[in-house]
Amino acid sequence: MAGNLFEVPANFPDVDPESVAAAQQGDVLALDRLLDELAPYVRRLCVRIAPAAADDAAQEALLAIFRGLPTLQAPEAIMTWVRSITVRTAIRLDRHQGLEIADEETVMGRSDSSHEGLVDIDDALARLPVSQRVVLVLRTKEGLSEQEIATTLGIPAGTVKSRLHRARAAFREGWES
Amino acid sequence: MIDPIDRLAVLAAALPGSAVGQRHIAAPFDAVWQVIADLEQNTPRYEPGVAHVRVVERDGEFLRLLVGDTTGRESPMEARLRPGWCLMQSASIVIAFAARDLGGQTLLAHLEHRRDSDRPVGVAKIDRELHVIEGLAQGG
Repeated sequence: MAGNLFEVPANFPDVDPESVAAAQQGDVLALDRLLDELAPYVRRLCVRIAPAAADDAAQEALLAIFRGLPTLQAPEAIMTWVRSITVRTAIRLDRHQGLEIADEETVMGRSDSSHEGLVDIDDALARLPVSQRVVLVLRTKEGLSEQEIATTLGIPAGTVKSRLHRARAAFREGWES
Repeated sequence: MIDPIDRLAVLAAALPGSAVGQRHIAAPFDAVWQVIADLEQNTPRYEPGVAHVRVVERDGEFLRLLVGDTTGRESPMEARLRPGWCLMQSASIVIAFAARDLGGQTLLAHLEHRRDSDRPVGVAKIDRELHVIEGLAQGG
């Protein structure tokens, strides 16, 4: 089995706010080091949220992050900012590539044959619509609270709660079938 | 680790106004990178404004350089150099090279960024330098 849905969430990379400030002020070697620190985290999130578009999503997210770096007001908040940009980019790329095979209303009614070859948790997650997959990934793999997920996605906390409920049900059905 | 060509694109996004060019070079990666990595020998051969380069300190991938221009002025630069990636900066300029092995050929990307935005680098200069580097990599 490739993954454990209830594994201890991985922490953010330990990014020094002074390095971020140096990068913002034009120190390109600091920018280069920052890229070393952020790229694995950005890629990991993209693999989990947009598995079939992970390479493009990670590159687009990094471009957006480094283009927007001068606008970041609080260097100590860089990781929540990076997370928000990455998650939104991954969702957009996943949808753009047309990889979402069913919307939230129809996924529950999929035939059992759609789960043939299901081999692990990551595979089960990848079969969820991205709107459900993202909340499940952020809650169970990244360890975010429902409020943090709401802030990251820019949606009400109540919507997060209902999507999580549907996502868990859909995941369970996919896993047990 | 992020591919050097993709890495250079991200760096360019962080440096508005930078000039970036790419060239498919008909020479193997090792030959191309040998030209780039020998900063002292080769930088003055493709960069018309540089008279000499001296590596004054080396700590793994990180280097300190003294770069003399054609007017006789010498400026300190710091650099990070490893196969496929070279990034240099001074108070006035940023220079980067990135290379991807294409199996017998090499994709080489080059970025220059003047911190004084009143004098931006032209893409034509980048293209000329890439052309010269190709000649050097081919034994010219």
